[in-house]
Order: sequence, then C-alpha cells, then structure tokens
Amino acid sequence: MFRHLCKLVWNRKRVNFLITLEIFISFLVVFGVIVFAVYYLDNYRHPLGFNYENVWAVQVGIEKKSDDSDRQRLLDTTKQMLATLKDFGEIEHVAAVWGAPYSRGNWQSGNTIKGRNVRFWGNFMTDEAKDVFGINIVRGRWFGKEDDGANYNPIILNQKTARDIFGDEDPLGKNPEERFDPDPDGPSPSANREPKKPERVIGIIDDFRKNGEFAELFGYQIFRNTLTMPDGREPRAFVMKVRPGTTAEFEEKLVKRMQAIAKDWSFEVKTIAQMRSENHTSYYVPIAAFGLVAGFLMLMVALGLTGVLWQSVTQRTKEIGLRRAKGATATRIYKQILGELLVITTFGLLIGVLVVIQFPLLDFLGFATKQVYLYSMLLSLALIYLLTIACGLYPSRLATKVQPAEALHYE
Amino acid sequence: MLKNYLKIAFKVFLRRKFFTFISLFAISFTLVVLMVAVAFLDHIFGPNAVESRKDRTLGIYYMEMKTPDKRGMWNGSTGYRFLDRNTRNLPNVEKMSLFTEPKPIVSYLHSEKIQAYLKRTDGEFWEILTFRFLEGAPYTAEDEKNRNLVAVINDATRKKFFGNESAVGKTIEVDGQNFRVVGVVENVPYLRQVPFSDIWVPISTAKNDTYRNEMMGDFQAIYLARSENDLQAIRDEFKARLNNIEFPDPKEWNSMYGEMNTYFEALSRELVGSRDDNGSASRPGRLLAAMIIIAILFMLLPTVNLININVSRIMERAGEIGVRKAFGASSWTLVGQFIVENVLLTLIGGVLGFFLSRFVLQFITASGWFPYAEFHVNYRIFLGGLGLAVIFGLLSGVYPAWKMSRLNPVQALKGAAR
Repeated sequence: MFRHLCKLVWNRKRVNFLITLEIFISFLVVFGVIVFAVYYLDNYRHPLGFNYENVWAVQVGIEKKSDDSDRQRLLDTTKQMLATLKDFGEIEHVAAVWGAPYSRGNWQSGNTIKGRNVRFWGNFMTDEAKDVFGINIVRGRWFGKEDDGANYNPIILNQKTARDIFGDEDPLGKNPEERFDPDPDGPSPSANREPKKPERVIGIIDDFRKNGEFAELFGYQIFRNTLTMPDGREPRAFVMKVRPGTTAEFEEKLVKRMQAIAKDWSFEVKTIAQMRSENHTSYYVPIAAFGLVAGFLMLMVALGLTGVLWQSVTQRTKEIGLRRAKGATATRIYKQILGELLVITTFGLLIGVLVVIQFPLLDFLGFATKQVYLYSMLLSLALIYLLTIACGLYPSRLATKVQPAEALHYE
Repeated sequence: MLKNYLKIAFKVFLRRKFFTFISLFAISFTLVVLMVAVAFLDHIFGPNAVESRKDRTLGIYYMEMKTPDKRGMWNGSTGYRFLDRNTRNLPNVEKMSLFTEPKPIVSYLHSEKIQAYLKRTDGEFWEILTFRFLEGAPYTAEDEKNRNLVAVINDATRKKFFGNESAVGKTIEVDGQNFRVVGVVENVPYLRQVPFSDIWVPISTAKNDTYRNEMMGDFQAIYLARSENDLQAIRDEFKARLNNIEFPDPKEWNSMYGEMNTYFEALSRELVGSRDDNGSASRPGRLLAAMIIIAILFMLLPTVNLININVSRIMERAGEIGVRKAFGASSWTLVGQFIVENVLLTLIGGVLGFFLSRFVLQFITASGWFPYAEFHVNYRIFLGGLGLAVIFGLLSGVYPAWKMSRLNPVQALKGAAR
C-alpha cells in the first residue's frame, strides 16, 4: 500500500515537488515562532523567587566621582535615606539594592571551572531585602548580624549556581573562588589593591529572577551590602514593601522627602507590578507580531493547498472513476487521496527536520535546551500535519463522489 | 487584442473565484508585511522634519574604554569630558552638539503624577536639528553658559501641565528643579532617539558637576558637516585623534575605541557588528544584506504558493488551449496571454495591498504603542514591492504557460494534461 502510494506521488513529481517545498518552508516558519513561544513558556513555569505584591521601587540616579573619593558620603546618604523611609507608616520594609526586579542592566560575572564556563548575574542587597521580596531560603540562612565584622564575605547562591559550581556537594560554608581555575596571566593588577576577604556561601535560595518570568534561567549570586567602607557600594534602587491599600498619592510625599535628603540625586518611582507588566509587554509584542505574520502565512498556505488538491482531484476524475468502476469503495479512494497527501507532507517535513536538527549542532538558537527543542519540533510537526489533513479533507471527499460513468465517458 | 485578453482574464477570475481569492490574498498580504516593515525602517532611519540634514550628520553614540591591560572594558555612551576636549574643532564640521540620552523622570502637579523624558542639551542642538516651534524659541548657548533654568517642552507635555493654554513664561517642576518654559515644539517620535524627548533643558543645569569629568557617561554628540563629501575626512580625523587622548587617571583607563557613525551604522554595530582589539566596528553592508535576505526568505513562501496555484489554474484550461492551438495560435501568443492575466491579477492584488497597508499603518499609529509615532506608506518602496510582485507573477506564470502552450493540440483537446 505504502509503496504504491509512493509510486503514485512519484508519477506526479513536478506538482508534488512544489507542494513538498511549500510544506518544508512552512515547517521552518512555524518552528521559528514555536521555538520562542515554548522557550518563554518553559521559563515562565519556573519559580520567580520573589514576591512583587505591594512592592515599590525607587530607582535612583547618582552621579559619582570617577575616582570614587565621595563613596563615604554616598553611603552615609543612603543610610540616612533608609532610616527616613523606615519612619513612614506606609512602608513596612525597605532595602537598598543594586538592581530592582524587572529593571534594565545586569551585573554579570563568571569564570571557568576545569575549562567549563560558569556565568552568573549578581546583586548587592541590604539585609532587609529578604522581607521586602519574601525571598525563600532553601538551605542555610540569609544575611544577619553574625556576618558583621566576620573574616569572610557572605554570599547567597541560587540553586543553579550552587549546582554549576559545587555539583552535588553541600555548598554551605565553602568558598566558590577556590573552585575557579587559576588565572593564566596571574591576578589582574586592578583587583589586588587591597587584600579581599574570602567569600563564603551562607545560604541557598530558590532563585531571584530579576529579569522576570520569561527571561533566561541563569545563575545568581547575592552579595551583602553593609553600606560601610570598604565593601559597601551605593545602590541603584530602593525597594520597599508598602502596606496594602497604599495609593499613588503617597508617591509624591515619598519623592519630595527623598529629594530633600539627596538634592543632587534623581528619582523614579514605580510599583514592581507596573515594571512587571512593562517587562511582559516587551516579550508579548514581538511574539504576537511574528505569530500574526506566521498565522497569516499559514492561512495562505492552507488556502493554496486546498486549491491545488481540489484541482488535482478534478483532473484525476478519469483515474478515480476507473478505480470505482473496478470495484474500489469510496473509503478506499478517500484513503488513497489522503494517503498521497500524507506521503508528500512527510517527505517535506523530513527535510525540514533534517535542517532544523542542524541548528543545535551548529549552536544556532543556542538558548534553547534539548527539551525545548524537541517539544517545539513535535508541536510544529503536529501543527503542519493537522494543517495538511484539514486541507485534504474536502478534496478527498470530492474524490469519493466521482461516478464511474462520468469517468468512462471521457474515452 | 489586449482588450480581448483582459476580457478573458476577468471571465476566468470570476469563474474560479476561490483561486482568484487565494492569489489576491497572497499578493496583498505579502505586500502589507513588506510595507509595514519598510514603514518602520523609514520611521527610524529616513529623513524627517526634525532631522532634515541627516545626510551630512555624523554622531558618536557608542565608545569603548579599556584598562591598561586591555581586559577591563567600559562600553556605552560617552562622557562629557571626552567629547568636549577631544571632538571640538574637527575640520569641516560646521556645528556640533552634545546631549544626553533621554532619561525618564517624574513630576507632580496638584498631586498628579506626570511621567516624561528629560534630555539635557547644549544650545547648538537647536541649530543642527530643525524642530518646529509651536510657540516661543529655543534656549541658546548663552543660557547654557549662564546655567539658566530654562526648558523647551513638547506639545504633549504642554497639554499635561497647562491644558490648552500657552506655556511660554510659565514654570514647570521637573525632578525637583523649577524650569521656566521658553519654547514649545511639535512631538518627536520616541524611535528617533537623537532628537527625542518630552522636556529639553541646558546641560549646565544638571544637579551636580561630576559629568564634566567623565570619559564615559550618558552623553552623545552629533556633528554637522559642511557638505556630504567631507564626512570621510571627519571620520578619519576622529580616528586619528583617538590616539592622543588625555585621561584623568591613565593607570585605571588609558585607551578609547569607537567611530563616528550615521544612525544606521550605529545600529548595524549593535546587531551585526564585528569585534576586534580596536573595539567593535559597524557593518552597515552586513545589516543591509541581512535585511534583504530576510525579506527574500519571507517572500519565498508566498511565491511558491503562487506558483503552485498558477500551475493548477493553467492545467484546468487545457481544453481552451487546445482550441486556440487548433485554430493556429502560436506558443508565444498563448504565453503572452497568460502573462497578461498574471500581471493583471498581481496589479489588482497590489492595489488591495496598498489600501490594506494604509489601514494597518493607521491602526498602528493610532494604537499609541510607539509614543508620538506616525507611520506612512512609503510610495517609492511600494512601487518597488509591486514591481517585485509583478516579477513573481511573471515567473510563476511563465513556466506553466510555456509548458501548456507546447501541448499537442489533440492531446490538449482531450484534456490530457499531466
């Protein structure tokens, strides 16, 4: 049966070549859109690691001297700012951080471990950030008083970084820097101005996906910001958990107060929920735009395919009629037409799959994991099969209506 | 003769409405997508009322600064000190202007929050860019020198602060500072990042002076050349000057890399630029090639679809061809007839596509997704797209037509087309 179908397809190779080509390109288009959609969805289902309800962020613009001579003054102002904000009845918790959730810019660092690249984003937070964001500690603890004046720099890792650096070992109490490969050129001259305290992992968190639900799953490290010299640094944002029901009117009061404390800083207030929706829009819009274009392309292909099949059935009246006259049932004719279509489709998709499989091998579209890749491929295959079958239904039914008499009257 | 062909064509179109519909749909849809894409490119890169001298303007939008061991790098917009000390008095530059990237700020008016973008510029900014003033006038180099707290605002900001009243002479509070409004300009689209802002104020009104010492920061600059022919010389001079920069702390940072670019070149560096030891370079040719390849790939599917449909359509007319041949029509006459039909169909699809594109672009403009943006159908590109569609129509029509026209009339009359 199958071999016979292939023969029939081969007999009309010129027409069928064009259909195969069309299906092949359609598969690439569909896959291109679906792989992004699946990738984002896969990211979305992972935990975010922080709570954004009733959290506000005030992003601050601080002009600092390039030689760093005014850091002490900036840290003092930051401390004063935190104390003042804490006095507001509307604010439950407040912290200073380097990067607020959904804000732009990433502090990235990385190194190699036995030649393998380990990269992670980082953030500097004051102790109260845990309460602002409701960060969930999986193991160990958050920063606390016991870290004051200790002979180590406490750091907190997300689970991905812990796994990347320590594998199955228990990371608590260990120093990640000891795992990194030694620098082939020796330590860089700017790094060893003053001897640094060794790092120590004190806690593991689920995650802190600063860039939001759709962003890449990435390593993360949180450093403690004590706002004291020599390791303290000026923040880029103040984040605060406000009491439920706090309205936008409080905003003006807040900004005026902050402006009074630091006259030469600039401030931008937003709720994290608002920043989240802006962040989401920046993902939806391109996907929707490309999805819309791809959707219309598919509609066009579907209409075209229906037309071509319809035409070919009309043309083959003679052949089909002859089969009917020789005793073939309507079902068998139906199966033949659909079967031929499936053979052509499968052939086009086979080429498509062969091409698409090259992408991960060539590290093109390198962001997607194997699973995302596989699911996208299966989804695209299913979609194209559905599309072609839907296009073939009406023409196949038409073929079953052919009367033997009609066919024979041609000769 | 032609009249006859057209008559037959219309009859055929009407007889097979479904096929006609598919063809028209494919042609007009392809044109719409191309038109929308071009409208966006034109909106970002094409000349407009404000950037009317784009053809002789260069800019410094991005630089890289490196540590003595070349391992540490700071990239992004440049600092005031670098631009001020190293790029003034470039030969053949008529005027230059320094300005910051637009920065989001908030103001409060009667407890209501007003969000806007603020850009700090010098006085020359208003001389290089040709803003249309609705009232008042720009601030000048004199205002910049004297640190006058004056501001130019756009129409939208005037509405937010003052409703429909005149704004000149009144005061607005911006990010904790009070500015006197001296001029109101028409809105500039957000995607025009060089001129775009809601509020423009002199650089020297910044809250503190640290920017004056920055090699890297958030400043950019544009340069107006005397003529288009001078652009290369200016680029070369800038490259040469990069070797003689004085750094505030050479032990920390001691080299800078970058180039003077048009805006398209700047974007090409970001998207497809190449990187080596002398910083990253722009590759406008590569970006253009990438765009053309994407456009061709996109058009491939509609083309194959069109060819497919045309092949089917013509098969159906074997009988007609047989009759024509039997009465002495040559192959060329038949090919000519089918081509006329195809071109006619393409042109109808083109007209449909034109109106659809206008509708879609109006919709995008009205949606407010891109602040102050206005998208238009680019007629030059539309004709180009239509030309391409006609070529596709020809290609997709010629092959099947040629094959059919060579049929043996006896076979054709029997309808034995394969």
